[in-house]
Amino acid sequence: MIATFVFMAALAAQPQPTTIPEMWDAWCARCHAQDGSGKVIEPTIVVEPMDFTDCRVASPEPDADWELAINAGGPAVGLSAEMPGFGDSITAEQTRGFVAHMRGFCRETGWPHGNTNFPRPIFTEKAFPENEVVILPAVSHRSTLNDVNLVAVYERRFGKRSMWEVALPMASHATSGTARRQGIGDVEVAIKHVLLARADSPAILSAGFEVALPTGSAVRNLGRGTTMFEPYLAAGTVIGSTYLQAQAKVELPADRAKASRAFVYNLYAGRDLSGSPDTWTFGVELNGENNELAFTPQLRKGLTRTGALGAAVGVRIPIIGGREQGTRLVSYLLWEYLEPVRARR
Amino acid sequence: MGISRTGSRAALTVALFVACVCVATQAGAQSGSVTGMVTTKAAGARPFRVTIDQRVCGTELPDEAIVAGAAGQLANAVVTLVGVKADAAAPNGMILNEKCRFAPRVQIVRPHAAITTSSTDPILHTTNAQIDGGKVLFNVAVPLPGIKIKKAVAAAGLVRLSCNTHPWMRGWMVVTDEATAITGADGRFTLSGVPPGSYELRVWHESLKGASQRITVVAGQPVSVHFDVK
Repeated sequence: MIATFVFMAALAAQPQPTTIPEMWDAWCARCHAQDGSGKVIEPTIVVEPMDFTDCRVASPEPDADWELAINAGGPAVGLSAEMPGFGDSITAEQTRGFVAHMRGFCRETGWPHGNTNFPRPIFTEKAFPENEVVILPAVSHRSTLNDVNLVAVYERRFGKRSMWEVALPMASHATSGTARRQGIGDVEVAIKHVLLARADSPAILSAGFEVALPTGSAVRNLGRGTTMFEPYLAAGTVIGSTYLQAQAKVELPADRAKASRAFVYNLYAGRDLSGSPDTWTFGVELNGENNELAFTPQLRKGLTRTGALGAAVGVRIPIIGGREQGTRLVSYLLWEYLEPVRARR
Repeated sequence: MGISRTGSRAALTVALFVACVCVATQAGAQSGSVTGMVTTKAAGARPFRVTIDQRVCGTELPDEAIVAGAAGQLANAVVTLVGVKADAAAPNGMILNEKCRFAPRVQIVRPHAAITTSSTDPILHTTNAQIDGGKVLFNVAVPLPGIKIKKAVAAAGLVRLSCNTHPWMRGWMVVTDEATAITGADGRFTLSGVPPGSYELRVWHESLKGASQRITVVAGQPVSVHFDVK
């Protein structure tokens, strides 16, 4: 179809763009600039487009979001309507060609590709580094026990492939016959680093190291009473349209008299219900610790059209052991604080 | 025995013909028309300088926000007979991007009409359609001459067309199923096939305002109306 238009255009005796770089220069550069920076001398639009030459900003974006913006326009990904949809004029192959051209504007290698940036499960550690704030409320209630937990997490990227994180847990326990105990738990600091990330047939492997400090009162059963060293590996891939994410972690106490070693493993499988950044994602997790196993079905939803705000809710059901804690209602609220929440003005 | 078979059939045909003619002339005789003129004392602005895509758009383009003749005849004003459904379907909306202008500048389309946008310019245009108050209905890229892209407009209202690569471009679609007419360069409009009655006649223009008028349509007699807008 596009060949016909190009032919007709040739008849008009004006040279028409035929390659992707020529099309970029003729059509896209007006607002995005020839170099993809979004800085043009005489802008014809109000918003300033994302700077594709800034690897920090461009590399975490998945190809699918860029393809959606090109085909259906800015509002399809929660951005400005000043970006028109080109889907009626170009082929799917040309759309992919534009995305490949745009990837070339970030000239540094080593940044993990946004195609490996998978939706965050509730328990399984994500392999992709993030700039985000997450709070994780969890509630369990049985006839003899009532438990409310809240973990507040701050994650910040540094370098091209790394991230540091601080997590502050707070808990409130009440068991029948005893007074309610509440307070902070063991504060955790961690770093994570991407070992491998592949954009096509996306796959990612990261290594991390957490240290849990004994800030929670062990006497009141809010902490373990000793420092814990917790190295882990986190991985992710996509098979068809199903995300698979996994984490294996070893928990090593500084004082083995106060706490015991543990082997923790988490496995997640999930699928998006649509292609938009604010889609529903349905997932299930298997969460294991030593020889206990729990099953956590969960639903995730982007709360804004850009997907920078998200929430998930699930139910953690003990399958093997873990009966004292019982079934828990678990959730998170997530904010990628460097991302546009709404269309940029 | 009475009339023969062929004779009775012929008589029936004649009777039907006469009945049809009577009904037709009754219908014609039962409707009136409204004609008139829209004028203004406001003057159009001078042509403005063009600094983008001069190779195609030129260095200067006329400012079509007000197109008025020497005697004040105003083009592109839309006159609406409130509450009267249009008797004919309007053609589907056709938006042409031509020499960096929307052609036509103002058109009338029916709700749920198909809109086709196309271009003769070898540069990127975008057809950005916003309905009353700024809600974007669609913004579609028109990168090559010869492409025809179909969209639809659902509800009645006033749709403003703009282009995100050539910010001066402006077009309007009045989406309505009421009886409407657009004034030409002579400032004139005609609404025909109007059932007799008392109506409000409204005038709209993209830059100027005028008060509605109440008119009474009588069968077989045209009503003449003059709007002066400012």
